[in-house]
Amino acid sequence: MTLSVPSGLHPRFQRMRNAAVGGWNQIGSQTRFYATTLAGIPDAVVNYRSELLRVIAQMGLGSGALAVIGGTVVIVGFLTITTGAIVAVQGYNQLASVGVEALTGFASAFFNTREIQPGTVMVALAATVGAGSTAQLGAMRISEEIDALEAMGIRSVSYLASTRVLAGVIVAVPLFCVGLMTAYAAARLGTTAIYGQGSGVYDHYFYTYLSPTDVLWSMAEVAAVALMIMLLCTYYGYTARGGPAGVGEAVGRAVRASMVVASILIVVMTLAIYGQSGDFHLAG
Amino acid sequence: MVISAETATKPVRAVGGFFAITLDTFVLMFKPPFAWREYLAQCWFVARVSTLPAVLMTIPWAVISGFLFNVLLADIGAADFSGTGAAIFTVSQSGPIVTVLVVAGAGATAMCADLGARTIREELDALRVMGINPIQALVVPRVLAATTVSLALSSVVIMTGLVGAFVCSVFLMDVSAGAWVAGLTTLTHTADVIISMIKATLFGLTAGLIACYQGISVGGGPAGVGRAVNETVVFAFIVLFLTNIIVTAVGVPFMVS
Repeated sequence: MTLSVPSGLHPRFQRMRNAAVGGWNQIGSQTRFYATTLAGIPDAVVNYRSELLRVIAQMGLGSGALAVIGGTVVIVGFLTITTGAIVAVQGYNQLASVGVEALTGFASAFFNTREIQPGTVMVALAATVGAGSTAQLGAMRISEEIDALEAMGIRSVSYLASTRVLAGVIVAVPLFCVGLMTAYAAARLGTTAIYGQGSGVYDHYFYTYLSPTDVLWSMAEVAAVALMIMLLCTYYGYTARGGPAGVGEAVGRAVRASMVVASILIVVMTLAIYGQSGDFHLAG
Repeated sequence: MVISAETATKPVRAVGGFFAITLDTFVLMFKPPFAWREYLAQCWFVARVSTLPAVLMTIPWAVISGFLFNVLLADIGAADFSGTGAAIFTVSQSGPIVTVLVVAGAGATAMCADLGARTIREELDALRVMGINPIQALVVPRVLAATTVSLALSSVVIMTGLVGAFVCSVFLMDVSAGAWVAGLTTLTHTADVIISMIKATLFGLTAGLIACYQGISVGGGPAGVGRAVNETVVFAFIVLFLTNIIVTAVGVPFMVS
């Protein structure tokens, strides 16, 4: 321990070096945690299947006060309804101001599928499933339940982290499908029922430009984003420390980190999938 | 399945408690003494934890929106209007929304964790015993700090978003720089900027109030604090998306006319 030394030779330099080394070590330990978690997924499927199913059910329906308002499905549906309706409100009016409000259906098919809904579902996943896992694991870490699991001979990373990561990826795609449906419905309803566009006009442009490939790619995007968010959130929960406030801080840090990383991931995947030309032809 | 009256009325009582705290906060906001020191400390704290994530989150969304708009506009031969699309998207939607996601995700969670830990350690009760109203001493400065920083941050986010979209369009997708800048104000006017700022202010206010309510009403040890922070994020996002659609729908007539 450095405590036995009265004072170091270059204290400021030493502190900087320690900070740099600490940051470097943290990256290492984080990477190792991710590798262990991913490697533990087969173990979790084989040995901890009941826990896996329990976590999947809990993530779909939520726990605590979130279950009272209907769980993750309702929250995702609600957020996507509002962003879908934004397409109707903003899209219809802005397009109307240049005289092409007939293309609102196209805006819904194009922007909802490719950008807005993966983004909204990413936010919803980070807030519900991701932050929920961090809160659970953090509370377990603080009350030394994770150490108790280890003492009982249960592989805690497989049992707690791998199950949650796998469950998060499994529930993400159906949640995204629900979200996309409600967003399309909200955009259509807003444009046709509230702003009074003919539903035939809307449907024509919507179905002309709705590309099934785009929907599939967006599903793949959401699955990748869910994997990233769950890895980050379980890490922050698993390594929480510092009492009750520490759990809360870990949740905040997990939400912040996962939203930034997931945004970057969505952009990288969008550019990788659609390329610089955008793989899009308005004229068919 | 039998649900006790206690469980069944819990959401109703939570909403009631939230409105009670909101009302208290608004009343005490104008009642001296105002906790300046706490307000400034909280402003600095929220700004410190929010600015970097906000910038990091804006750049990807600016790039992706610039990319999608350009693909679309290039196809109909109107790439010169790519600045118009970027301005609409950044000023009226992505700017305020990114701000709020970050203020709720970074600032409000930390506030809730801090207040929740204090509640659990019964520090708030100690304050009450000493004759200090915790709402006046702790909640009012936090709510105002979240509001102030949210308003200030939205400008930074919008600027970053526009610069990001400019770089993406001009240097990567070969749009003329002059046409891009000239297109910015085609559809985006002062009214849009003002509505965007109103949105950011309302978002910050709501996120602060939700965080403080969740923090004060926490119970049940570390697990309770974790759950409260989680609920803060979820409820804040729900309310904010709802506010966004309402303000947009109300503001649209001013924006397009």
